[in-house]
Amino acid sequence: MADQQKPQDTQHSRQRANEIATISGTSGGAGSGFEFLGNSAWWLDILSAAFGRGFFGFMAFAILVSIVCYLIYGMAAVQAVLIEDMTLLVNMMPRLVLALSVASLLWVVLPRDRMARLVGKESGLRGLIIAAVAGTITPGGPSSAYALLAILAAAKADRGALVAYITAWALLGFQRILIWDMPFMGAEFSMVRFVVSMPLPILAGLIARHIPIRFDTSQLPKGVR
Amino acid sequence: MFGVGFYAMLTVLAGLMVTAFRAPDPVFGVALKRWIEQFAVLVPRMFCALIAAGFCAKLLPAEWISGLLGEGSGFFGLIIAFLAGLLVPAGPVICFSIAAVFVKAGATPAAVITFITSWSLFGAHRLFIYELPLLGFNFARLRMVSVLPVPIIAGIAATAISLIITIEMLTGR
Repeated sequence: MADQQKPQDTQHSRQRANEIATISGTSGGAGSGFEFLGNSAWWLDILSAAFGRGFFGFMAFAILVSIVCYLIYGMAAVQAVLIEDMTLLVNMMPRLVLALSVASLLWVVLPRDRMARLVGKESGLRGLIIAAVAGTITPGGPSSAYALLAILAAAKADRGALVAYITAWALLGFQRILIWDMPFMGAEFSMVRFVVSMPLPILAGLIARHIPIRFDTSQLPKGVR
Repeated sequence: MFGVGFYAMLTVLAGLMVTAFRAPDPVFGVALKRWIEQFAVLVPRMFCALIAAGFCAKLLPAEWISGLLGEGSGFFGLIIAFLAGLLVPAGPVICFSIAAVFVKAGATPAAVITFITSWSLFGAHRLFIYELPLLGFNFARLRMVSVLPVPIIAGIAATAISLIITIEMLTGR
């Protein structure tokens, strides 16, 4: 099957090979692709990204609200909340691992240049609609939606399309509606919410295209570009 | 324990594995590197943010807020619902439980829709756990400014729809 590749895929795979060569530090690009695992500087980078300022900011905030909660509701409430949080975290882990696996394989498998053209700068209203539909049908929770959004952003998708995609996922995502809106709020309420929200991702995308706030690929976090 | 979405993703993963095996280059290294990088940025923050979110939800005065969202609260009610949505930095379990509290206390559907929309777009947990680590501050700012009017528009549209439904019920059958 591999030798039946179409011509445009060759360019795609050459780009991929260059990427592998860059990250593994080899100039020919012939290695197995796993050389980075032996690179201690890379592991140090990972460690400082994992436990950077953001992490400690969160920890400080978590400790602060837990103290407030203790002062108002007492120790038993703090314990109950902690147990609930831990259960949630344990439940989330398999989903996160799966979502990241899908996202990282998509990153290497998808022809990102072609995808970006579909929702790129010149894509117009059609690009916004494609992005909104994609956001609506994206399965999985925030871990998969945001990982996909990062891929689209790194592939230089239009900023309006990026905003339309994630807004559509947040407001119209089928999975959210089926699992949460319907059981909690009832079918009628969910339908009204869906209908009034339908044009809003496009609107948000149009606003994002026209407001003078700078955003381009160079402003993405290091691990994502 | 796992819903339809999980198995849908699992199927997608299997398909991607097959595609990646067929690729002419050793792509699994690149994928693994990206996986580790994103996992490292996400998980420690997620741990702290989840704990913080649980306490914030406990501290939110849901019953008191619901008193401001009833019939006749109008545009002011929508603004309060919008602000309440900003204050729920937790997942759907907590957001929809609070929405149910609002409904039971007599909040208008439009206010509840504004609340859910506002939480969907501005939930601080998602901003801190996913958006800032994966897309950075500039994107988060661009997106939040772009969707700023959206919850209120949703509330106004919902008000209009419930008006139409009420008028139809009064005049029609």
